[in-house]
Amino acid sequence: MIAVYRLTLRQLSGRWRISIMTVLASLPVIIALLMLAADDAPSVEEFETAILGAMFAGSIVPLVVLAIAAAAFGNEIEDRTLANLTISPVPRWKITLPKLLAIISIAGPFIAISALLTGHVAFLGEWPATLAVGVAAIAAVAMYGSMFVWLGLVSTQAIGAGLLYIVLWEGFFSGFISGVRLLSIRFYAIALMHGIDERRFAHLEHVPLSVAIGVTLLVSGGFLYLATLKLRRMDVP
Amino acid sequence: MIANAEPVIRVNGVSRWFGSVVAVSEVSFDIMPGITGLLGPNGAGKTTLLRMMTGLAATSTGTVTVFGEPVRDNPPLYKRIGVMSEHETVYGFMKGREFVTMMGSLRGVTDLEDAVDRAIGLVDLADAQHRSMETYSRGMRQRMRLAATLVHEPEILILDEPLNGADPRQRVHFKHLLHTLAEQGRTIVLSSHILEEVEQVADTVLLIVNGKLAASGGFRAIRAALNQRPYHVRVLCDSPRKLAAAVVTLESVDAVHVDPDGALIVLSRNVLDLQIELPRLAQAQSIGLRRVEPLDDSLESVFGYLVEN
Repeated sequence: MIAVYRLTLRQLSGRWRISIMTVLASLPVIIALLMLAADDAPSVEEFETAILGAMFAGSIVPLVVLAIAAAAFGNEIEDRTLANLTISPVPRWKITLPKLLAIISIAGPFIAISALLTGHVAFLGEWPATLAVGVAAIAAVAMYGSMFVWLGLVSTQAIGAGLLYIVLWEGFFSGFISGVRLLSIRFYAIALMHGIDERRFAHLEHVPLSVAIGVTLLVSGGFLYLATLKLRRMDVP
Repeated sequence: MIANAEPVIRVNGVSRWFGSVVAVSEVSFDIMPGITGLLGPNGAGKTTLLRMMTGLAATSTGTVTVFGEPVRDNPPLYKRIGVMSEHETVYGFMKGREFVTMMGSLRGVTDLEDAVDRAIGLVDLADAQHRSMETYSRGMRQRMRLAATLVHEPEILILDEPLNGADPRQRVHFKHLLHTLAEQGRTIVLSSHILEEVEQVADTVLLIVNGKLAASGGFRAIRAALNQRPYHVRVLCDSPRKLAAAVVTLESVDAVHVDPDGALIVLSRNVLDLQIELPRLAQAQSIGLRRVEPLDDSLESVFGYLVEN
């Protein structure tokens, strides 16, 4: 597992990916600062909906994760180095799990720092709120990461498919159609924030914290299982 | 290492198709310890067959077993198998030694440092092991990939076009290495589209043409079959009609005709005899020979002949 984890860290830590993640992760902090500095600063409720809900959980986190997770297997399929791993005497979950852990290790710090800074700025240094944003962000990284790892295995157009998913499903439909919300990762990330600090997103209806934690584990584990299954059954180029 | 009458690899009625394209059709054979060459022209289905033999690809029908176990979805088996695919892509950000170490680590090699030293020593790349693989020549990359394939000392080696990019010195070294590994009792399967390449290393040959097993057995038997095939030979000389009249009397010649451009085309079933007799005849008739060339000596025509017969 360690060998695959280290390999994936090196594969995904290229300069351009780090640059993209830095730019994306900086956006919520910059916008939060600009909003606070403005004369007509938004209410907490408006800030939560626009910055934490729509922008952070619905766009920035999935985009940052997509930039690396889709490539975790996608690039190895493309350059035909995946066989180096699959001709090893290790169960397939010992390939997919370290890949996901490497993705969390790379994207996690960017997202966590961005979440903590945004939360800290927005909630004026209030630590429970800041912590809620940080924990929910890491949970979202795990869910999106697992999903995009699987996507990288099943589609040669994982980046395009992932972008469509982020824009249409997480960004558009889940904002307007209540049923779709229940099938969106953003919804459960927000529910986690609310569960950890109940004053956050208090204006929305949420599932209980235990359900949000359960769904987080189910989504992360479920897509990881599907990725493992796919790796076992696919023809490796 | 292995002294067993049971086949090491058994391919039984294996077919593989991609949509309507049949890449491999109803192929069956057993592979025993020693060096087996998988020979066939480009696009014959060798790589697809090797990928099914290594479990990297599924069969559409039929089974592949290694040491009596299904190879597909059976990761523990890879402790005993070393696979080198035809693709030469390497992790450019890694040094050669790092790559071999990683592959050894993935295969659960104990005493990793020694195993890596030994594998890199076998391919004669100790001097370059601390260089980034990005800076390697094609031949060096292939050799370092071979080191990574050997690091866990597998009982079976499956090598897809392993001599691609190798210079003559590396080829000689590689052939010695293969013979040494085979003498240790290992089972080695290597593919190539170059007849002579396989001839020099393989004890047994499997000839694949159009996804089918066209011939199998010792190389000499296949060579003999090749030598009996009819060849068209083009002869440029001073007096084609005079030479045609003389050549047609030879036993080794089936037919002769003169092209509109004045070249003599000879159809012969025994090219070795023709090679000896033709200059003699020309000398006896005082005819100057300018050029003698086979018209259909391409590998595809050779394979085509074997398939038809």
